[in-house]
Amino acid sequence: MSHKSYKSSRANPWVVAGLALLLVAAMGASCLFGAVDFAWDEILHSPIFWRLRLPRVLMSVLVGAVLSVCGAAYQSVFRNPLTDPYVLGVSSGASLGAAVAILLGLEAWLWGVGGMALAAALLTVLFIYRIASIGNRMHTTTLLLTGVCLTLLISALISFLMVLNQEKMDSIIFWTMGSFGSASWTDVAVLAPVALVGIGVVLWHARDLNLLLAGSEAAQSMGVEVERVKRVLLLFTTLMVAFAVSSCGVIGFVGLIVPHAVRLVAGPDNRRVVPYSMLCGALFVLVCDTLARTVLRPSELPVGSLTSIVGAPLFIYLLYKNKKSY
Amino acid sequence: MITLEDIHVGFGSRTILDGISAHLAEGRITAVMGPNGCGKTTLLRCIGGLLHPSQGQVLIADRPVGSYTARQLARQVAFVRQQAQTDFDFSAFEIVLMGRNPYQHHLQNESQADWDIVEQCMRQTGTWHLRLARPAELSGGELQRVMIARALAQQTPVMLMDEPVSNLDIAHQLEVMRLLRQAAKTTVIVIHDLNLALHYCDDVLLLHEGGLLFHGPIAEGLTPDRIATVYGVATHLADGQVVFDYS
Repeated sequence: MSHKSYKSSRANPWVVAGLALLLVAAMGASCLFGAVDFAWDEILHSPIFWRLRLPRVLMSVLVGAVLSVCGAAYQSVFRNPLTDPYVLGVSSGASLGAAVAILLGLEAWLWGVGGMALAAALLTVLFIYRIASIGNRMHTTTLLLTGVCLTLLISALISFLMVLNQEKMDSIIFWTMGSFGSASWTDVAVLAPVALVGIGVVLWHARDLNLLLAGSEAAQSMGVEVERVKRVLLLFTTLMVAFAVSSCGVIGFVGLIVPHAVRLVAGPDNRRVVPYSMLCGALFVLVCDTLARTVLRPSELPVGSLTSIVGAPLFIYLLYKNKKSY
Repeated sequence: MITLEDIHVGFGSRTILDGISAHLAEGRITAVMGPNGCGKTTLLRCIGGLLHPSQGQVLIADRPVGSYTARQLARQVAFVRQQAQTDFDFSAFEIVLMGRNPYQHHLQNESQADWDIVEQCMRQTGTWHLRLARPAELSGGELQRVMIARALAQQTPVMLMDEPVSNLDIAHQLEVMRLLRQAAKTTVIVIHDLNLALHYCDDVLLLHEGGLLFHGPIAEGLTPDRIATVYGVATHLADGQVVFDYS
């Protein structure tokens, strides 16, 4: 029997290599542009490059990869195309933590704001998991509803805090819009290992994610330890998102849209969607952050709004071109 | 092949199954029958390892279901549900290929052998020409046959089916039942149509009020008396068919 009519939908190594090359080239190019532009031959001698530009580029790549991979994983685990990495309240928890830290004047401390944001994000998610665990099972609908509900509550709290402390409103708003402006080597050193391990875990479970889309019980009877896989995936994705958000704020749109864009082009198989999303998400956030720091220089645009401004038309074009329905 | 040892299942204060014991021999097709809500699906889920009985246990190939890992069990038991569902746009071929999961390790890609098995199962169920179609483009009967192909691709000795023909027209009902006979697996099937069951199944597990009213050859089991007890409906037999006494 021959299968000329059918091609495997696993990741194509040539596509992966091509995207990786493109990413590396884009990283190199991105390093040249910013508040100060460099010529390619003087860049290695510049302290701005080593201390500011390079960690910033690395952070945008890491965060883009993390958000896209987590979005892809969440959309399969929750079997819901509208879920993004922030749906469990990680971002709102982090924002509240950051807001409190800013109000307490912890900005001067190393990782004062980021640390508070991380702690608050993890606490929020822990709280949500406790509510949604029934026996040893994780009830995903309850998980989503609790996440949405808590997100609304926390954003109301943040608004409240901002109205009471109007002089700090700007810094809180700027933080929640997301920025790589303060990215440092410490941030890279903290996020990189978490991202590497976490993305590895999601890649490892890529086929399980496909099966979860057929329903929990169907996946179980096709050999997936559903509860264990869900738990492991939610643990690692949440950790990745919490670390990403606490270092650079909330960058919307990426985690929701990049996996969908990849699916429109490459099909629904997570063995493709996860690695392609990782690379495309990294590339996308990198480009957006480069635009954010160059378009209106010397002032910066919030990268969180640029991702939407650049991404939304791109995605609508893909939807229009493919005319697929969900 | 399948042994039920004193299965008790309750949800809250409600008892669903109250001590079911039976041995289902290899290669036989057993119909699970009884009125709605009597625990047919619950029993099937216990056999498939999706639900742990509060008391008692299920043995498959002389081994407790609970002692299998999900992968091992998926090589013993395949499960066809009443409502097939899959999100995102996997093709029928990709859906059937999912049935090969218990034979593939993490990161391992499907082999030519997997593809051949998928093709064979899709031809067997008459779905090969639909291989590139998406679930949304398939009729209920076609999707059900794709799901059966997926279960066949698991190459298990045991097949569990929860009302696989309830949504199908008569021609497709007969086709699916014929397919079941051909597959020659130890099959447990929840089915409502008395005559379809009489014709295509070997044995019957007749559930009544949480207990087992009858287990044995279906021709002996489905008497007008028992049908009256279980369903509260008057019938008589004519030419080996159950005929309802409408009045």
